[in-house]
Amino acid sequence: MTTKRKEIAIACLLIMALAGCMKAMPPEKPALPTETVEPEKPTPPSPRLVASLQLTEQGRRLLEQGKTDNAIRVLEQAISLYPDNGQNYYYLAEAWLKKEVASEAKKFNQLAEMHLKDNTEWMNRVAQQANRIAELEK
Amino acid sequence: MMYKKILIGLLIALFLGTAAIMSYGWYFSTRIEERFSARRWSIPSKVYSDTTLLYPGQRINPELFQEKLLNLDYRSVSHLPSRKGEMRSSPSSLDIYLYDLKTPWQNREGFAVRITFAQERIQHIKRADNGQDIPILELEPEEIMLFFGSERERRQLVAIQEVPEHLIHAVLAAEDSRFYQHHGLDPRGILRAFITNLRYGSIKQGGSTLTQQLAKNYFLTPQRTITRKIKESLLSVVMEIKYQKDEILEIYLNEIYLGQKGSVSINGVGEASYFYFGKPVTELSRPESATLAGLIRAPNHYSPYQDKTRCRDRRNDVLRAMHAKGWLSEAKLQSDLKAQVDTVGYTVHGKKAPYFIDYLADQLNALYRPDALSSLGLSIYTTLDTQVQMAAEKALVKGLARLETLNPDLQRIQTEQQLQGAIIVMQPKTGYILAMVGGRSYSVSQFNRITQAKRQPGSAFKPFVYLASLDEFKPTSFLSNDSKTYTVEGKSWKPQNFQPVTAFTVTLRDALKMSYNLATVDLAMQTGLDHIVDVTSRFRFSTPMKPFPSLALGAFEVIPMELARAYCVFAADGVQPYPLSLKGVVNENGDILQQKHMDIERLISPAKAFIMNHMLQSVVTEGTARSLKIKDIHWPVAGKTGTTNEFRDAWFVGYTPDILALVWVGFDNVDSISATGSSAALPIWADLMKSIPQYISESKFKTPPGVEKRTVCSVTGLLFIENACPQPVEEYFLAKHVPTEYCPLHQKYGLGKQIFKGLKKVFNDD
Repeated sequence: MTTKRKEIAIACLLIMALAGCMKAMPPEKPALPTETVEPEKPTPPSPRLVASLQLTEQGRRLLEQGKTDNAIRVLEQAISLYPDNGQNYYYLAEAWLKKEVASEAKKFNQLAEMHLKDNTEWMNRVAQQANRIAELEK
Repeated sequence: MMYKKILIGLLIALFLGTAAIMSYGWYFSTRIEERFSARRWSIPSKVYSDTTLLYPGQRINPELFQEKLLNLDYRSVSHLPSRKGEMRSSPSSLDIYLYDLKTPWQNREGFAVRITFAQERIQHIKRADNGQDIPILELEPEEIMLFFGSERERRQLVAIQEVPEHLIHAVLAAEDSRFYQHHGLDPRGILRAFITNLRYGSIKQGGSTLTQQLAKNYFLTPQRTITRKIKESLLSVVMEIKYQKDEILEIYLNEIYLGQKGSVSINGVGEASYFYFGKPVTELSRPESATLAGLIRAPNHYSPYQDKTRCRDRRNDVLRAMHAKGWLSEAKLQSDLKAQVDTVGYTVHGKKAPYFIDYLADQLNALYRPDALSSLGLSIYTTLDTQVQMAAEKALVKGLARLETLNPDLQRIQTEQQLQGAIIVMQPKTGYILAMVGGRSYSVSQFNRITQAKRQPGSAFKPFVYLASLDEFKPTSFLSNDSKTYTVEGKSWKPQNFQPVTAFTVTLRDALKMSYNLATVDLAMQTGLDHIVDVTSRFRFSTPMKPFPSLALGAFEVIPMELARAYCVFAADGVQPYPLSLKGVVNENGDILQQKHMDIERLISPAKAFIMNHMLQSVVTEGTARSLKIKDIHWPVAGKTGTTNEFRDAWFVGYTPDILALVWVGFDNVDSISATGSSAALPIWADLMKSIPQYISESKFKTPPGVEKRTVCSVTGLLFIENACPQPVEEYFLAKHVPTEYCPLHQKYGLGKQIFKGLKKVFNDD
């Protein structure tokens, strides 16, 4: 042990002895963690997601063609396959908007919002959709 | 004078006779009109499972997959499949010629595909004709049940325009070659038959025309009496007067009996074409048409499923008759005579998913009269996944047998008193019911323990108590796990833990994880029993819940399906789905009569659902359901065990974000099963889940907004101090409950400990 280190050690012991005579002092508090939700690591798309996206696209096309009930059926299949794919909820809300059932559209729009929260572009679309639902509700 | 009287008498008799014949004719005419203008046949409605999706990368259970294909009536061949319905399988590949996929929502022609497998996963799906990759493939729905009326007949109607000419010629050649020449009765045919029969000294040929045969089948009994023959003749003449020849022929072709599939008769050429050759009538070859025509005389005697040689001989007789009538050239006759009699084969399937069907029938009965279901030929599409259903049925039977082997006291001589169990499998986000097993054996007991039983849930109810507390409590909140006596309606009640414990103060998470009764009652009392009843009422339990402390321990009965549905809320991020079994109803013309879509309702916030999921994952990783780990369940699962007093009920409800299954085990007469939810129900759940790898995505429960993660001191539940708190743990909180205070318990030791650690480091360095 070097002399300098011995000095540090003695100083520490002294501090400890003094600390025993004093009211316990809380240690310096670390700053409160600021992160809210731990970002999830990007993972390669699973086969289920890939298959689900095929159905999502199919559902979207059916919606475009005006085959709303068919689109709902396909999008529900897509949800069965991969329930975390928020686009399915978005298009389901779109389908119910087309059927002018605001209450159903609203439920799916909220689910879309929950699942697409990390995607700014999609969140804009979800917000616009919410406005259209609100319009329908009036 | 005498002659005059006789003449008058004869005239009167003639008049009366004519009048009688005319009135009889008029009567028959009315009957025929009534019969033909109304619905001509009762066509049973068919119930179908859901379609099956296949995609590259999908895990499969090879055994169940193969069984599924057989149930879809695919047949194994040794050559490369060249006809619809053929398949050739090896452990690494499947060549299959798909049937047409016809649902109200899609219409796809069958085609040949090659599916390759590697390590029980689908590697590629390619079209056999051009090698093109198929990203997602849908297999046709499986027929799971027919709603028969009193007549157990299968029939697929065909229009006369669809019937190939060679089939018409074959039928006419076999049964009534002068059909288009006579007027219902054929004296030449009768004479020919009479002479033939006289020559052979026995009945070799019938003289009945097609119209007479139809009259007999449609309106008369099969007895051979003179009166019946007269009626038959009269009916035939009336029928010919009222209807066109093509109309009569069409009715005949749809009416005739052509064979037997188990207890069900095959009627009409449309159904027979599928039954014998696996194809629509439009695709029949000439020899196949002749085979069908040859069957009319004695369907079971000449059936290719009975005797191929006899069937072929009879077919060749028909072909020769066609040739004799000039409907078949010599060259074609010679080639057709050499053709093999190739049939598709058939399997008589037992009753599939009977409890599910009963549940479905209850809903259908609210929409249609029972006679409508057995006569209108509706197509009923459901959410059932027959692979999951098969897996659930097998898991239950195996699991109950295992329990009886482990504990022979559970065995009962009377099958009606046997140990029972029930399973429901649902998709929590859509509400689709994938499988339902309402009991051990439907033939023994039709009581559906998933939809009709009311049983105490025991600890399987606790999550709803914890959920109700989440506005005030957090997973790190402390509860008393000490014994207490409560007074309920003037009576004292002293709950106990399942096993004696030394931990008298436990966190909320640990209390749920270890299913502590005392801590749960403490939580319920602090939360407020009325509030718990209020919260649970939102989950739509139809059974009453009262604000008694025992509510917290699952003392109030629930219907298993309602409990499964309630758990779906956790798995589905706070949204409750309506349990769906029926997807759609379509009439014979393909018009959609009913269409059901997923129906959801938000009950709790995604954040609360996540907290519950996370705590219920602890049950599986470290708590009462931790034995799942040694049963090879290595993906994220949340769940809860349940055991009631005296071991009367054993429960396990387990789920992932994709699938939820509830298993119940018990005796109908509430005898003790001497086993817990963990030892009786959980192994069945694990067995089931491992059998349906296509539903196991290994997805985690996604963290929603409104939830925050912190590292806390396990002793105080407050923010942990590095080098001070001995056991830091990561915990999730609702945003409003995030701790802001540091652990006070270890603060005073904090400085000393840090200095000590610093010193240790210094000295160790030397």
